[in-house]
Amino acid sequence: MSELPDNTLMQPKAERGTLASYVIGFILSLVFTAIPYYLVVNKVVTGNVLLTVILTFAVLQMAVQIFFFLHLGRGPKPLYNVAFFVSTVGIILVVVLGSIFIMDHLNYNMMAPKATTTKLAQDEGISQVGGEKTGACADIGVNYQVIIRNGQVSPLRTEAHLCDSLSFINQDSAVHEIVFGTYPKSSNYGGETMLKVRSGHPKTITLNELGTHSYYDHLHPATAGYFIVTKNVGAY
Amino acid sequence: MAESVATSELKHEAEANDRVMFGFWVYLMTDLLMFAVLFAVYAVLHGNTVGGPTGSQLFSQPQALAETLILLTSSFTCGVGMIAARRGNKNQVLAWFTLTLLLGVAFLSLELLEFGELIHEGYTPSSNAFLSSFFVLVGTHGLHIISGLFWMFVTLLFVVMRGLNRQLVRKLALLSLFWHFLDIVWIFIFTIVYLMAYV
Repeated sequence: MSELPDNTLMQPKAERGTLASYVIGFILSLVFTAIPYYLVVNKVVTGNVLLTVILTFAVLQMAVQIFFFLHLGRGPKPLYNVAFFVSTVGIILVVVLGSIFIMDHLNYNMMAPKATTTKLAQDEGISQVGGEKTGACADIGVNYQVIIRNGQVSPLRTEAHLCDSLSFINQDSAVHEIVFGTYPKSSNYGGETMLKVRSGHPKTITLNELGTHSYYDHLHPATAGYFIVTKNVGAY
Repeated sequence: MAESVATSELKHEAEANDRVMFGFWVYLMTDLLMFAVLFAVYAVLHGNTVGGPTGSQLFSQPQALAETLILLTSSFTCGVGMIAARRGNKNQVLAWFTLTLLLGVAFLSLELLEFGELIHEGYTPSSNAFLSSFFVLVGTHGLHIISGLFWMFVTLLFVVMRGLNRQLVRKLALLSLFWHFLDIVWIFIFTIVYLMAYV
């Protein structure tokens, strides 16, 4: 016990953890693991709220680890390690958020110019560019639904007006990837090339091109249907 | 006079220790940058399954929770072992760090079990971009755990053979920094890979 007198210890007193700080940190970290796990498993909240909550708990958890276990900020001054940590976090935010932001918007640059304009106009709700109608609708009309269950589309035929919307609802466990056209050919509709419809996550398109259009699931071409878009008298 | 020389030597050693700790801290931060890039890759590619199953269909929530609890506990036992090391209590150091080592092995076994099951069912790193980024991110963390366990084993052998001296306490301090750091990285893997798959 006496072979290491106090003044030979590795760090100044303030930087060393006490048993109490480790116990508090441990209990907090268990709580901050249990809460997000409970929320996710029991689906207490969903969507963006859940996302925000669990990310917040991850950051809290990191803070607990840093203050109670790593004792950052309690060392000798000046706090070079804290400065280094803060700048690292800054770089991480730029790299991670920047990558996600850029890759999310990259799709715009991978389409034909006309399709890009249509898709951009659709996403941003721009109804005309340079005096020409883009096909985007400023206000959405009636919403029609197509339900896919056991690979069957219901209803097979949907009749709608321009600027109405059409939602694909997947009630199967498998993912349905809807493309437009007749098998085996596919084209895009209003700038959309493929709709990945997951179970419980409906996808909605705005009917901004006139005429009769068919669609099918390119993974299971038997899952197919069509819709007819006519002019809405009085509007546009 | 003799006393002041001893004090000056101790001060010198304390400064050297500060430098070593800071150098190791710089390494940890650059390692964190590497993990950040792997997280960014996973965030971008996690939806690219080419029609294959997504995370929520592949991952087991209870298993991920068990791995997290094991690693959190090992971080705690490592911290308590560090307190014992600073008090110069060799037996407690051996006990707590051996416990940390065993928890680390348990964590690694669960992770390898998960990887084995996935690969056995035909979901390999070359199946799609989602699985490539998953295996690289989680596997890199696993490789860090393996090196940490190896380092811990060797350091404990030295403690057994030579007893606790200043150099070994410093090595244990660096090791515990590394171990807490891996715990922090795992928290984000748990949240971003395993929990967010179900959102």
